[in-house]
Order: sequence, then structure tokens, then C-alpha cells
Amino acid sequence: MTNRKIKYRPENKAIAEVASKHGSRPESVLEVLREVQETHGGLTQELIGDVSRALRIPEERAYGIATFYTMLSLRQDPPAKTDRRSIRVCDGPVCWLKGAPLLHQLIESQLGDHWRIERNSCLGLCDRAPAALVGDQQAGPLTAEKIGQIPHGFRGAPTDYSNPLPGELRVMMAQAGKIDPDSLSSAQAHDAYRGLEKCLRSTPEATLAVVEASGLTGRGGAGFPVGRKWRFVAQANNTPKYIICNADESEPLIFKDRVLIDTNPHQILEGMVIAGYATGAHEAFIYIRGEYEHQAQRLENAIHQAEQANYLGENILGSGFSFHIHVHRGAGAYICGEETALIESLEGKRGEPRFRPPYPPTYGYLGKPTLVNNVESYAAVPSILRNGSDWYRSLSSAPTPGTKIYMILGHVCRPGLFEAPFGITLRQAIDQFGGGMLPGSNFHFALTGGAAGTIVPESLLDIPIDYASASKGVALGAGAFLVCDQSVSPVAFLRELLHFFQVESCGKCTPCRLGTFDSLEILQRLAQRQGAPGDLERLHLLSEVMKQASFCGLGQSVATPVQSALTHFAADFKGAIQTPNSSEML
Amino acid sequence: MDVKLTINNTPITATPGQTILEVARQNGITIPTLCYHKDLSPVGSCRLCVVEVEKWRGQSAACTTPISEGMVVHTESPAIIQSRRLVLELLLQNYYDAGYAMGDRPQDNEFIHWVEHYRVTAPRQAQPRFAVNSDPNPVVWVDFNKCILCTRCVRACAEVQGRFVWGVAERGHQAQIVAGAGVPMLEARCESCGACVAYCPTGALDNRMSVGLGAADRKVLTTCTYCGVGCQLDLNVKDDVPGGRVFRVTSNPNAPVNGMHLCVKGRYGYDFIHHPDRVLRPRVRRYLLQGLPRPEHDRGEWVEVDWDTALGIAAEKLRQTREQHGPDSIGVLTSAKCLNEENYLMNKFARQVIGTNSIDHCARL
Repeated sequence: MTNRKIKYRPENKAIAEVASKHGSRPESVLEVLREVQETHGGLTQELIGDVSRALRIPEERAYGIATFYTMLSLRQDPPAKTDRRSIRVCDGPVCWLKGAPLLHQLIESQLGDHWRIERNSCLGLCDRAPAALVGDQQAGPLTAEKIGQIPHGFRGAPTDYSNPLPGELRVMMAQAGKIDPDSLSSAQAHDAYRGLEKCLRSTPEATLAVVEASGLTGRGGAGFPVGRKWRFVAQANNTPKYIICNADESEPLIFKDRVLIDTNPHQILEGMVIAGYATGAHEAFIYIRGEYEHQAQRLENAIHQAEQANYLGENILGSGFSFHIHVHRGAGAYICGEETALIESLEGKRGEPRFRPPYPPTYGYLGKPTLVNNVESYAAVPSILRNGSDWYRSLSSAPTPGTKIYMILGHVCRPGLFEAPFGITLRQAIDQFGGGMLPGSNFHFALTGGAAGTIVPESLLDIPIDYASASKGVALGAGAFLVCDQSVSPVAFLRELLHFFQVESCGKCTPCRLGTFDSLEILQRLAQRQGAPGDLERLHLLSEVMKQASFCGLGQSVATPVQSALTHFAADFKGAIQTPNSSEML
Repeated sequence: MDVKLTINNTPITATPGQTILEVARQNGITIPTLCYHKDLSPVGSCRLCVVEVEKWRGQSAACTTPISEGMVVHTESPAIIQSRRLVLELLLQNYYDAGYAMGDRPQDNEFIHWVEHYRVTAPRQAQPRFAVNSDPNPVVWVDFNKCILCTRCVRACAEVQGRFVWGVAERGHQAQIVAGAGVPMLEARCESCGACVAYCPTGALDNRMSVGLGAADRKVLTTCTYCGVGCQLDLNVKDDVPGGRVFRVTSNPNAPVNGMHLCVKGRYGYDFIHHPDRVLRPRVRRYLLQGLPRPEHDRGEWVEVDWDTALGIAAEKLRQTREQHGPDSIGVLTSAKCLNEENYLMNKFARQVIGTNSIDHCARL
């Protein structure tokens, strides 16, 4: 018989202690695994078994999680190079444009002996490209000359957004640079929590009515009316209800949530408390991507200060309303930005999306009614409550009320972020806010929205961009524009995007798991001009079936950049097909 | 309140809360599935059951989409067939079959069934990615080259047997089924019940003792002899020897007590059937037939007799013992293999016929 004796492994006291620090709840498995990895210099099968026993979950579940998230990694022997001595070089398309592959090689050769060097999907530092994560510290822009200084503390400087550009209309960014983001009193001097005070004096119903009347739409990319979502949660009978702030911002090109947290964290907390008051929820989570450790600490500090001042906690400002916010760190998975995958991850599971219906407002976190909104959506709420819905609607004449945070990146003079009403054109974004194309650069194409956005040729530069403009070939998405000049091949660029989707596909459904893999293979051939006859048709078929039949938005939206690139740059793709017998074919 | 909907231009009335798949099957409309099984919680991940719902964006998985009033569903439109064919094609080009079990249970391979149904061929040959026979479990055969990641094994283990042995590790294209923290099944607390084998639609998980033994000449529905639960199962029989030979046990989905569920004994403990030591007819010692007293040491050989003779001798011996030494000199031990009714009769026999309270039950096997 091959039957081996079952080995008895006594309880690991140290790990049981870590688990109890996190409440010994199965939902805390991600945090417990991260802490164990940190203290033990890596995870092993034995440690994962110990964690599963301490949290009373099946071993396969803990193992499935440990191998799902990129910031967790399994090693047979704990390595000498611990996680603190790691450099994660950004793998995103913006950093790729700025020379990240070469930078990665240089870092590997200069620092590889003492540091663990890895590639990491887009770090959300696109305005600091090429960027990296040194331990848990954000660094960029990096240059070849500065690599030697990384061990001595060189991290580069974050972009300063204190001063609005001409033509900007700042609402969510209004206090940027005016307040100290780590000081509540400084924020209070600039209207922090005034909206909350006002809404606590009125009823939840009145608060809901103001948000509905404002016409605020979800800023995560889909543009679903925020008020209507709140209404669904408010109407749900089941209790308790939960509020979730989606700060998983992992889409390449997108870094607005990071800047919003860094400039005014209280504005986001205030929006969440108001959402809780309006919907009848008393507990909330901010699900923040693990790569944003700095921002997670800033939010924790802000929460602590707000609790001290009773803007959070029990019986807020004597109103009888109680509300608590917890910060939950992700561990490296783009898919967790999808709201149901986020909820799964928050419950301590692999970040795989759930089928819908039921939708989160009726069946969300732990099966209870749950509101999930983006950081930017919450950030817009306090000003609406302070100034009223009419004021918000009067900000612009565009069909979508209010302002949006945009990101302009790539071969422009002034890459960065700005706030403006809806309906701007790509040309405006480049010339007015991006400072124009770089000297010597001509517009070739742009990617708008995010990685899952549209690839846009010059002919569409003057289309006003809104949630509806995707049908005209220019997606708004989460509001990013990556501009590429003549030096960039659309084929190679698309390959970079597919590389991202293939790495980040959760693997749950067949079309996305195998379709992204096959598409990337084709694009790798095409980028080397070694495409085979039939490759373009197959690429189109793969994207079409992913769009139609994938489980969630990740797989469905891969088709957007693929099909727009195939449409607008057909000649480039056809030219990438190798036809050794082309003379015969003629 | 009934729900009215249309599937493939046929008006249908259904019960609220049903899924498109359930309604379609009730009405004789075939929708192909792989990750779906009626016993298991639906996950909607294989995307083979996608259908078109008019006015809806994208295609919907029939197994997870609840019906709604006025819904208009198409199950075999050209776009749907295109999606299904590509899903099957992508799976097929990663499905490596080394061929050792080709003729075993072809009718149980749901994946190949749909591949053939939609006439799908792989654009390129699949390559082996794992070792064939990768787990040392004595009864479960593991070959992940044939795994399509439907996760039915994961759910069967968790929801039918409650052992949580199987899980999914890694992600994306690297995703794969693992036992526990990537250990052999038995180390991950596997009870070797074979539920995962019964629910596997491809043969990636198989019955080790029957791999490569070919198809059954006939299947015999029988009740498991091991305990009183009364599980039903299909004995797979080959008629290559007189009387036939049992070489595999498979679940019978219509079994009223157990459905697809069996334990390790029922599913794998069938080798006693053809064991040379197995007693098939009653036997007595020769001295008993001759009416002689019991010899001191060697009690002599066994002789096959008919039932009346054997029972007559047993009854006579019991009567003698009771008369000479009293009813409490006799004890009765019954078996978990007996039915409730048989155990009840033994109880009556002990207390009323023999007159003793000394009756017990092995209560275990």
C-alpha cells in the first residue's frame, strides 16, 4: 500500500498568536498570510497548514489564496532575501513606454546579488514612470544613473498637484496642497466633515435624495448612477449592511485614487460615512491594493483621527448614528477591482468573481446588502452634501454632471492628473492639460479609459468624451489617456496590454483563462513580424468570444483594445504576417 | 405565480427561481454543460452553457441565470455555437490524453461527448503538462493532463463528502487543481470515497483499480452489502468468465438513498466477490454430519451441504446447549451488514426463542 501515515503537527503557537491578533476570523486569512510571510521571510507548505489550522479553514483554501495573490509567494525554503529587500519593477504599459524593460535588466545586474528583483503588474505610479516598489515604498521616476542610489534611500519624488492647471475645475482636488493630508485640524479648516454634519441634521432619506438628484455616476469606469445604487442598498431588508470603498486601483494607466488619498483622505472617509447614514450601514471597509502601503497607512491614520474627533465610531456627533471603517489590504490581484471578486477577497477567498444576479446591494459581503463604490465616487459626495445637488449639476453643461479626474500620460510634455467636467476631447487633454506632444513627437495613437479601453487614431481626437462616447470609439473608462508617438508600434503596444490581461486573468472561466493566453501568443508572433496566415482572424475570434462569453468584465473588456486596434491599425497588423510565399500568392 | 418566457421560439411556463438551464431541461431542450452538475452548487465557469437572451448585453450562462418574466432565450444561435466551439477548442488543445483508458468509460466523458457533438478539432496537438498518475492514492487515479478545471471535484469533495481535499491553486493559465497545500491526497485528509471520480466529466480522476480494463459488458444495479444504509450502485461486469466478473463500481445517479455518493467500501471494496476463500454455499464439519462428538484437536474437514441440513444442525446444537446449560449460555451477535428487519428478527430470536438478553451488534465493519 502507498498509504502514508498521517503526520500529526502540533499547533504553531506563534502563528496562532498572529491569527488571534486578526480576530482568528476566516476572513482575515490574507492579512495573516501576509504577516506570516513577513516574519518568516516567505511561506512554506507547513506554514500555510499552520495558518489554516489557526483560522479553522481547509488547507486547500489557504494554499489557493497563497498562490493566487502575487504579493504572497510560496518557497520550499525560506530565503535569505526577505520581502523587505525586494524591488518590484513596474510591468505596466506606461512604464514600458518609458523604458522599464531595460531598467529592469540594469537593476537586476546591479542590485540582483542582494535584492530580490521581480516584475509587478502596473503599480499605479504612472505619473512617476518608470516606477518600482522598493520593499513597500513607492519609487520613481527611476533612471539608469539613480539605480546605485536605491539601496541608499533614493525613491524619487511624488508629483506635486498643489496648483491647478489653467482650465481645470477642481472639486475633489480642491484642497490638494492646501491641507496637510495627515492632519484632521488642517482638513477641518477647509470644510472637512461639514457635509456629514449637515446630513446628520437631516434624515437618511433626504441625504439619499440629494445624492440621487445630483446625478453623480460611479467613477470606477461603468458610470452607474450612484444614487440608484445607494437606494438599492437602503431598500434591502436584510441587515447588517456594509459599505465598501474600492481602492484596489490596479488598472494600468489609473492612479487617481492614490492621489485622492494622498491629497485629502478625510474627504473619502466623509463620503463613506454619508453613504452609511443614507443606506443604514454601520460598518465599512476600504479595500486598498497591497502595493499602496503608504496610502493604507495614511487612511488608517485619518480613520484614527476621525475616531478621536467622533466623526467616526459610536454615536457620531451625538446623532445616535454609529459607523466604523476598516482598512483591508489586498495582496496583488487586478481582478479584485471587480466588485464581486473584491467581496470574495474581503471574505478571505481567492479573488474570483461571483455570478450575478444576485448583485451586491442584495447579496454582498457575507451575503448581506453591500454598497461598493470607487474612491473617486465617495470623494465627490461631501461637496454635493455641502453645496447641494443644484450646485453640482451647474458645474458643467455636459450630459454627465460634475467633474472627473483625468490622467494624461505618455509622450506629452506634462504627464499627470487633472480635474475637469465631462465632455473634453482627447485633443484638449493633450494640448491644454498635457502641455502638448513632446518635441519631436507626433501623435500616432492613444489608449483611452484604461488598459481595457479603446485604441484611438488621430481621426477621433475631437470626439467629446463621456460614458456614451465608447460607441464612437473613444472610451472614458476610469478617465486615463495614454498618448503614443510614431516610435510606438500598435502591435507591440497591444502585446503589452495582453501580457497584462494574461498575467491578471483569475483563471475561473474558460474564455479568459485560455483566450488571453492564446491571444498573447499570437501577438508575440505578430510583434516580431512572424505572424502566421489566419492569426488576425483568430485574434479577432478570440476577442469576440471573450467579449460575449467571459464570466466577468476582465475577460469581456479585453476585446475593446484588441478590436479597436485591429480596426484602426489594420495595415500594421497585416504587415506583421509572415508570407514567405507571397509572390506565389500574388 | 408562474413565469412565462420563450426559449427557441417556444412559449414556456416555469416556476420562479428556476434557472434557464433547469427550465430548458424540463422542456426537453438540450443545453451542453461541463462545470454544472445538479448535485453541486453552480459556478458558471466553463461557459459552455452560454445562451442568448434578447436585449441583454453579451451571452449568459444558462446554469446561473434565473428566469424572468417575458425573457426571450435562444440556445443554439450562430453566435452561441461560435462561442461553444471556441470554448471546447481551447479546452481541447490543452487536453492531453495518453490513451491508456480510451475504451473504459467513453459514455462518461462528457467533455469528449460535446467535442464530438459540435465537431470540434484542436488547431494544435495538446502537450502533456503533468505526470500521468501523479498521486499515490491507492484507489483514485489522477491525471491532470485531462483536467479542464471545471472544479466539480472540488465541489464534490466539499459539498458531498465534506472533506475539502481538493482546491484550486495558482491563477490564470497556471491555475490547477491541488490536494491540500499541494500534497498527496491522503495527506490532505482524503477518505478515498471516490466522489471526485464520480463527478469528474473527463476521466482526469479515475478508479485506479479499473484504469485500462475497458468497458463493461453489462451493468448490474445492486444494493451495497457493507452496511444497513442501503446505497445502490452499478456493478460493472465483464462476461469473459462463466458467471461474469465484477471489475469496477460506478455510481448510479438514480439511486434513491445515496445518489452519486458512495464510501470507499462500496465503491472500491469489491474484490471479495471473486476471492477464492469466499464461502458460497453452507458448510459443516464432517463430524457433525456423522453425528460424532467434537474431536479434541483437529476438528476435521468442511463439507458442503444444503441449507436444510446446515440449519437443522445449527438448530439442534442451539437446542441442546439451551437445555443443558440454560438460555444465558447463548449469546447473539448481529452484523451491520444485516438489514434493520434482519436485526429485528435476531432480537426476537434471542429474547423470545432462546430466552436471553445477551444480544449485541458489531455496529462497525
